[in-house]
Parts: sequence; C-alpha cells; structure tokens
Amino acid sequence: MSEAPELSESEAFAAEHALGVLTSAERRQAEARMASEPAFAALVEAWRERLTPMATALTAIAPPQNMWLRIERSLASNDNAPVQRMVRFWRGATAGSLTLAAASLAAAVMLANRAPTVVQGPPAAGGSLLDASLVSQSGAPVPLFVAAYDPTRKALIVTSLVTPNNDPAHVHELWVIPADGKPRPLGILEPGKTRVIPMSEKLLPSLAAGSALAVSVEPPGGSPKIDAPSGPITAVGKLAKI
Amino acid sequence: MAAATTPEDLAALMTRVASGERAALRQLYEATSAKLFAVCLRILSDREESEDVLQEVYVTVWRRADRFDGSRASVMTWVSTIARNRAIDRIRARGPMAYADQVEDLDIPDGGVSAEALLVTAGEEGRLWDCLSELDGRTENVIRTAFFEGVTYEALARRMDTPLGTVKSWVRRGLAKLKGCLSQ
Repeated sequence: MSEAPELSESEAFAAEHALGVLTSAERRQAEARMASEPAFAALVEAWRERLTPMATALTAIAPPQNMWLRIERSLASNDNAPVQRMVRFWRGATAGSLTLAAASLAAAVMLANRAPTVVQGPPAAGGSLLDASLVSQSGAPVPLFVAAYDPTRKALIVTSLVTPNNDPAHVHELWVIPADGKPRPLGILEPGKTRVIPMSEKLLPSLAAGSALAVSVEPPGGSPKIDAPSGPITAVGKLAKI
Repeated sequence: MAAATTPEDLAALMTRVASGERAALRQLYEATSAKLFAVCLRILSDREESEDVLQEVYVTVWRRADRFDGSRASVMTWVSTIARNRAIDRIRARGPMAYADQVEDLDIPDGGVSAEALLVTAGEEGRLWDCLSELDGRTENVIRTAFFEGVTYEALARRMDTPLGTVKSWVRRGLAKLKGCLSQ
C-alpha cells in the first residue's frame, strides 16, 4: 500500500474516538466536541461507518432464549414514549367492561367507604420529592391538575384547577399508574379544591419518578372497578423528581 | 430474518421504534441481537456480562431511538457503536488490571472471526478486511485490539513495552492508510 496522507489532527482524534483507543476523559471530550461541532461529529460518524464492518464480520452468536423477555421487562421503567399510548390501551381495556360496571358497583362503594389503613411500625423511607402536572387529553394540553408528593408527610397533595360546576352525575377520580402499567385508585378530586392524600405503605412504591398520574371522569363514588377507570381519561401527567 | 433484513428495512424499523412501537424493537432485536451479542462476547469474553450489556444496549436503543438520524449513520453502525461503547465501559470498569494482559496476547491471531465468515464476507466487510490485511501485521493487530478491547494508547504501550508516542503514530498512520485503501 502506498503511503497515505496524514489525517488532520481533528480527523485523527475522531478516528481514535471511533476506534475506542481514547482514555475515558478523552472520550468525554470527544463526545462534547461531537455535540458542539457538527463537522467533528460527521468525521466520527464516518469513521464509525468505516470500522463497523470489523464488528459485523464476527460470526453471529444467538443470545439466550429469555433475553428478549429480560429486555422487555426492563423497558417499562425506561419507557419515554408518550403516556397517551398507555391511555389508549386503557380505554380499549375499559370499553368492553362497562357492562360489568353495575355488578361491581356495590363492592366498589364498600371499598370506597372503608376507613383508611393506619400503618404502624418503623417509618420507612418515604422516597423523593416528586411533582406532576396533569394536562388535558383533548385539544391543546392545558394543565387541569397539579400534584406534588411530600416524602416527609408521605402524602400526595393534589389541586384541581377545574372550575367548579354543578354536575352531580360525574366526579373526577385520581389514579396512579406505576411501571407495571396497572392503575391504582387514589380517590376523588373535587373541582377547584386541594386534597392531601396520605399514601399507604402499599402504595408508596408506586409513587416513583416516571409513574403516571391520571384523572378519569366517573359516576359518583368513582369507578365501579377498583383496578381501572370506567370513564374517559381527562388529564395525564408523569411524576418527576423536583 | 437477519439475513433478509436490508439497511433500509432496519432504518424503517428505527422510525417505528422511535415512535414507541415495542413490536418494532422486537423485530430490530431479532435482526441484530446475534451480531451485537457476538460483539459483546468478543469484547468482554464473559457470557453473563455480555448478556447484561446486551440488555442495556436495547434499552438504550429504545430510549434514544429518536436521536437516530438515518441520513448520517446506518442502523447497524449506530447499534453496534452503542454495544461496543457499553462493553468497553464495562471492561474499563473492571479496573486497570483488565489491561494487565501479557504482551503475547497481541500476537495471538484473532479468534473472533471464523474462517468461513471471512470467506463469505463480501461488500464493505470484505473491503475493510482486505484493507486491514494490507497493513503491516503489528499495526493491524494494534488496531484490532483497540477496536475489540477498548484498550487505551497507554495500556497498549504498556502491553507492548513500547513508548506511547510510537504506538500512537502506528495507529494514526494505520488509520490513514485504511482510509486511503477504503476510498479506492
């Protein structure tokens, strides 16, 4: 092979980054340059394209059978896709169950009337300070509810920004949907009012960054089902660390 | 599936992954995981760690799919870069002892690529191998070792008992030759 012209300092650094020969500090430096200098980023990308065949020429080795399951399981907590997909799924799941609503109404009323559980024992870590803004699901996203989780009080403080009106036929019910995707009811929200909702030890793990809060429109007393809303979702937001 | 997946198919899958379609990620996984697992194994030489890294890779792909730009990179390059970076992070986290391999390691012919893989390798893969083989054996080995082990210049210099500046100039000259050869 004839003697090739030397790479410019910039290109040599880009090639070294693509090759993987830089120290961790230099790699960070290269990443920062890629973010701020499109021309440098293009050089790195071109070098990655040149060198990748070394990797793809390796004989393929099938990962173990359960690998996909492992990956899929770890997606939930990293799911950055819009919460809307979850809501869509949810609507589909609840639409067919409306006929069951009447039958389970009595049970739901009983559950709703149960006194809150008083938790005894050593105080557990209450988690981190979180907040969420729940925005409307139709039209422009307007915040309809705001929520904050106070770990010292282990309580969720929720304020309804909805103008009070006299609609005795409907109420707003609050839900938390943690990483497992299963909604847990948190109670009824009165229009224009703030509610402090104490969190049971059982519910505490649900209140994590990334969990969704949602409000559904329900018949008085709340959703006849304890594990899913029966009416339309009016507002959704994600809990995030403050 | 893997054999029939063209770069265009993969790019179309990435668009769907970016919009949050899990089924598309599953298809991307089916099409690319055996190659990426081979990359992880080649770098880490440890099955369990390679499985952990492979899992991280697809979670990263899922989270960052919206940053993939098909006009700037191929999907295979994008995902294998993630795999290699993750594996290199992992091997470096093992600490400086991970670099304490003997000098002779560099002389062992690369076992990661089977003979038949080389025979059937065509197109870009074949060209890169042709160009790599045109380098002198020492430079070729240093470049391959750096690529598959994430070994820094410093560690390469220590392993080869050669001044850092010398190793660096071998690599840089080798890369320049590669570029020239590939552009022919």
